[in-house]
Amino acid sequence: MAREFQRGHKARISDLTAGTDLYVGVQISGPGLTFDISCFGLDADERLSDDRYFIFYNQPKSPEESIQLLGAQAGDTESFRVTLERIPPQIQKLSFTATLDGAGQMSQIGPGYLRIVAGGEEVARYPFDGSEFSTERAVMLGDFYLKDVWRFAAVGQGFDGGLDALLKNFGGEVAEEETPEPAQPAADPGTGAVPGFAPPAPAPQPPAFGVPAAPPAPPAPAPRPAAQGFAPPPAPTPPPAPAPVPHGQPVQQQPYPQAPDQTAPLPPGYGRPQVPHPAPAPQSPPPGHGGQAPYGAPQGAVPPQTIPQGAPQPAGVGAALQKFRETPTGQRWTQQNDKLVRVDLGLGDQPVLARQGSMVLYQGKVDFSYKGAGFAGRIVGNATGQEMQLMRCTGKGQVFFADSSTMLHPIELQGDAVCVSAENVLAFDESLQYEVRRIEGHGIPGGALFTMQFQGTGTLVLKTHGTPVVLPVTPTTFADCNAVVAWSAAAQVIVSSQVRMRRNSYPGDTGESVNLQFRGAPGNFIVVQPYEI
Amino acid sequence: MNQPLAGYAPAPVTARMENHGDHMLKVALQTGNDLFARVGSMVAYEGFVQYEPNPPAVRQIAKDWMTGEGAPLMKCSGDGLLYLADYGADVVVIQLDGDGISVNATNLLAFDAQLTWGVERVKGLAKFAGQGLWNTKISGQGWVALTSRGKPIVVDCGGGEDETYVDPDALVAWSPNLKVKGKRSFKAGSLIGRGSGEAYQMAFSGQGIVVVQPSEDSTDRLRVRG
Repeated sequence: MAREFQRGHKARISDLTAGTDLYVGVQISGPGLTFDISCFGLDADERLSDDRYFIFYNQPKSPEESIQLLGAQAGDTESFRVTLERIPPQIQKLSFTATLDGAGQMSQIGPGYLRIVAGGEEVARYPFDGSEFSTERAVMLGDFYLKDVWRFAAVGQGFDGGLDALLKNFGGEVAEEETPEPAQPAADPGTGAVPGFAPPAPAPQPPAFGVPAAPPAPPAPAPRPAAQGFAPPPAPTPPPAPAPVPHGQPVQQQPYPQAPDQTAPLPPGYGRPQVPHPAPAPQSPPPGHGGQAPYGAPQGAVPPQTIPQGAPQPAGVGAALQKFRETPTGQRWTQQNDKLVRVDLGLGDQPVLARQGSMVLYQGKVDFSYKGAGFAGRIVGNATGQEMQLMRCTGKGQVFFADSSTMLHPIELQGDAVCVSAENVLAFDESLQYEVRRIEGHGIPGGALFTMQFQGTGTLVLKTHGTPVVLPVTPTTFADCNAVVAWSAAAQVIVSSQVRMRRNSYPGDTGESVNLQFRGAPGNFIVVQPYEI
Repeated sequence: MNQPLAGYAPAPVTARMENHGDHMLKVALQTGNDLFARVGSMVAYEGFVQYEPNPPAVRQIAKDWMTGEGAPLMKCSGDGLLYLADYGADVVVIQLDGDGISVNATNLLAFDAQLTWGVERVKGLAKFAGQGLWNTKISGQGWVALTSRGKPIVVDCGGGEDETYVDPDALVAWSPNLKVKGKRSFKAGSLIGRGSGEAYQMAFSGQGIVVVQPSEDSTDRLRVRG
């Protein structure tokens, strides 16, 4: 899950992800605004000493390709690939900036974010919106900087000038380098920026390294061949509409970033329209919803091949329920999931005793009959509370047991013994012997505690409310007598009651009065549930 | 302050219906693509969503199902994200692809309004169970969400020789092409199922699946608690 950053937060990238091949996506938009999003590779003095590390639309990668501009995709207005370990040592800081192209100011932008994605999973996100800015025309969104290790800082600092001022701030020499005036308004659509400077860009390799959900391109007649197949004047943003794109402003205003690339899940919005052609929404989105206005849920009655790629499973009842299928058997007792066990009565050829009503399903010829405790058993049960309402399951077939979605734990006994309180027994092989054991102690209401002791060879299924804890028995192991479920019978039980007359004399005081202390050789254990009966 | 909770932010939407955790359903609603959901199951929503309890279409189809307590379904329409839950029950999302499923009414959480659906009383069982068991049969192209008290299990009906018997309180859903009949254990002293004396199961035969929850709690909490 992505960690949310706020302005000023810093973190080591190694704390966010183990990966060093990162995808950095920026989503920024506003009504009528266009943005240039670029990355400055700065040296230790925070100067742009090498202009080849100014990564922008006309220079989509650094010489050794450690920083690459990927264009708009997956809902991001602009995206970069940063390979940390390939960044040369003189580059100490990468600053990701967004500058306005044309009129406008930063206070007009809608909600946006900068995010880091590693291995297809978003690990960090810094959201921002226009309320944090005023008349600025540029903003430094976030930095990767090297301080012993690479770190990320959410900066969110506005900057009054445009891209050229930002360049000057970083020490770039605008005029001398014949860098195309980046902040120029889109006055020359079609021609692109000043030619000649842009390196002949061989298409960078496709972002198969972990761009969020880079799915196979759908068979739909999408208007983009691939985000990366750009020609020397790169136009990373495919046109969301048939209108010609001015090449000089690659970051097209994108009120509907989900329209062109309908394949990837759109993080900020609510899904995307499934129609393969972009044209989902009418023109003016409300300002507050610049990037997410259409709640583009999948259209109704769509043909199945345009199902969002995020739903990996094929459609259909069987496919949706595949993960809940019964697990294959082979053994007499099989745990199906943490709340269901299955017994195959055909294997082992002996009946199973189970709590009445715990059968949820059976297949085959199984006979259920009442299992009385017998006369003596009833008397003991009544007197001690350790009474089980049992049924005997005989025959050939498979029976599934469960009870009130409690967690089940099959315990295989091989000649050893275990003590369980009767209400935590779900089912057991009839070969096990059981008897009521008495734990004496002072201060126990009723004079004594009772428990069932099971021994022999076979399987016993325990049930617990919630995930239990299994503690080894040490000289100082205590448990609440209401929460303890079971313990290995070799452990000796001592009642340690804290009798405080003053406190106990108040009505309603249910303090932890009776505790059981356990003693035993190493290897003994107790099971305690997070639920006090 | 919100750092520890940040992990629970909703994930990006990738499908019309998705699980948020095990126990919550997230639906991406869209105009023109309405949703039927259990009344009272909404826990949160985002966007512009309107609710119409007891819409006429439901009244017609489910007229037998409703027993004076109002319609069990509401129609949700609009644009937004809708979060549904049923008292902590596990939610199972199914995308129907032209096939169908029969769902125990208690275990139905939501489904697309454009699906074909109908309500019927489970045959052969009404005379055993006190209140009867209502069964919603849903088919078509779209999404369905079920609830299950605890993680469910899916069992293949053997395909003929042996029937599969299910405790009706634990039954969640089954393939509509299965043959269903009630089975009562008449033997004296036979005490299976909930309570005592009333011992009955549902027998399924044919080719298909049965979905069972690990609990015999079949109370309709949304209805009982409003």
